[in-house]
Amino acid sequence: MKDKMTSLERMTAYNKGESIDRLPCNPNIANGAARVIGCKISEFKGNGKLIAKAQVEAYRMFGHDGVRIFTDLYVQAEAMGAKVYYPLDDTANLETPAINDVSEIEKLQPANPYKDGHLPAHLEAAKILIDQIGLEVPCSGGIVGPFTNAFFLIGIERMTKLILKNPEAVHKLCELSLETCKRYAEAFIKIGLTPTISEPMSSTTIVSPKQFKEFSFPYLKRLIDFILSKGKTVTLHICGKTEKIWEDMVASGANCLSIDNVASLYNCKNKVGDKVRIMGNVDPSSVMYDGTIQDVRQATIECVKQAYDSPKGYIICSGCSLPINTPFANIQAMMDTAREIGYPIKIDALPIQFTMD
Amino acid sequence: MAQNKELLFKSLSDAVFEMEEEKTVTLSNTIIEENIDAYEAIEKGLSDGMNRAGQLYEEEEYFIPELLTCADAMYAGLDILKQHLKVNNAGIKNKIVIGVVEGDTHDIGKNLVKVMLETSGFEVIDLGRDIPPRDFVEKAKEVNAKIIALSTLMTTTMEGMKEVLAILKKENLRDQIKVMVGGGPISQGFAEKIGADGYAVNASEAAKLAIKLVIGGIDHER
Repeated sequence: MKDKMTSLERMTAYNKGESIDRLPCNPNIANGAARVIGCKISEFKGNGKLIAKAQVEAYRMFGHDGVRIFTDLYVQAEAMGAKVYYPLDDTANLETPAINDVSEIEKLQPANPYKDGHLPAHLEAAKILIDQIGLEVPCSGGIVGPFTNAFFLIGIERMTKLILKNPEAVHKLCELSLETCKRYAEAFIKIGLTPTISEPMSSTTIVSPKQFKEFSFPYLKRLIDFILSKGKTVTLHICGKTEKIWEDMVASGANCLSIDNVASLYNCKNKVGDKVRIMGNVDPSSVMYDGTIQDVRQATIECVKQAYDSPKGYIICSGCSLPINTPFANIQAMMDTAREIGYPIKIDALPIQFTMD
Repeated sequence: MAQNKELLFKSLSDAVFEMEEEKTVTLSNTIIEENIDAYEAIEKGLSDGMNRAGQLYEEEEYFIPELLTCADAMYAGLDILKQHLKVNNAGIKNKIVIGVVEGDTHDIGKNLVKVMLETSGFEVIDLGRDIPPRDFVEKAKEVNAKIIALSTLMTTTMEGMKEVLAILKKENLRDQIKVMVGGGPISQGFAEKIGADGYAVNASEAAKLAIKLVIGGIDHER
């Protein structure tokens, strides 16, 4: 099926409450774009041209609403001195943190996005993206939130324990982290992209709502305030359980919340849908990667049923980045389901497959 | 004495559960000084405290920072107590390959099981955490292990356990190598569903199960 509007036309109209051809839909392809151009994931390392090429080609193939420059969670930490392991054909992983002890915090410096690590390559990718498809589709730059990035500076386990044992050190790390986030966000904004924030460690799967409020929220809010002050909007994705922090996520100033499939889209709509746009949450693993086309169709319809009438708007999305080897047919099925449903949505005409939570 | 013993175990469990590392160390030393069985202290004290912490995590009262801090206390006690474990020979000369399946880095449970298995006389080859299915099989072949023990805390990695069994079957090793599974989301039902040889709910049960598997395995045809 063909779209009648470009993605940018669609998003602009949807934001104004005007008529659109279908709901926006973003399967969240991530590094799987490598499969579209047939390169290995590790080839993305420091190669802005290739990152951009993969994302542009993936967009040409599926026509999803929103293309993002994002390879892994570690680019900012790497630019601050962490070592990252790049498997030949899988997403990068943290090898060693930037520092190993609280006493070394003073040594850390915020990253310079034009110079440090692979940030310049990502900015190059951002520039190509804007040049090639910036007039057709919203382009975003993926940023890892201050709290999550701080884990990679001193090590995940160490940081986790510091939360109870040395709150002051955690705040210091988050402050440094925030400065890197702001600089990186500003660099994306100057090129013309909209920053999106991933904050997986803020999930209540990891920390308590109270710990989130104390250690993550203040820095997240300052980052979002900064981005908003530059005239951009912010999408905030927190993986895992988030129900207990939805109000805080709204209070952080984010315009759109992207939620994981372990959280309930229906509850999210009812709780905060009148304040922010929501997106989600087809299971990226058991449905998108492992399911059949029919499974994808059903899950997509189910999400639409749960959230299509969310007051501030709804975007069909996966609950998290898709696994690299997600079948193209399933990504296509999600997009086609959005196209078949069309707009305005006649909820009674949708096939009845599941009951709501 | 008996009551004192049970009281000490309870205090040890509380100390772990309440994240009090120093208290855990003090109590562990007391247990050694009073010649109380270290195995029982690990089982009814340290392991019990960790299980209670895990329960609170399930109930969303504890989170990962609390769990890791409990684990620190538990390990501090374990360092003291494990030197005084009386090794029995039930599992002697049998090797077990143990690890946390790929995609998961939670290894608290696995580390406890390892200690209990060693106490039961097994030689334990610990692959660590985040281990691909193939590596379990390769290592088991290399060292001629009788059992592969798989652990996970995350539902997303349960497939990896199935994969280990599939590889063993494919390589016609299923009769020679037993597979036991455990961890937060794992149940007896899951173990049966994927065709594992056994499931254990905690570390000491895992040790008993391992003994049963090697003894029962001699004339057991599947």
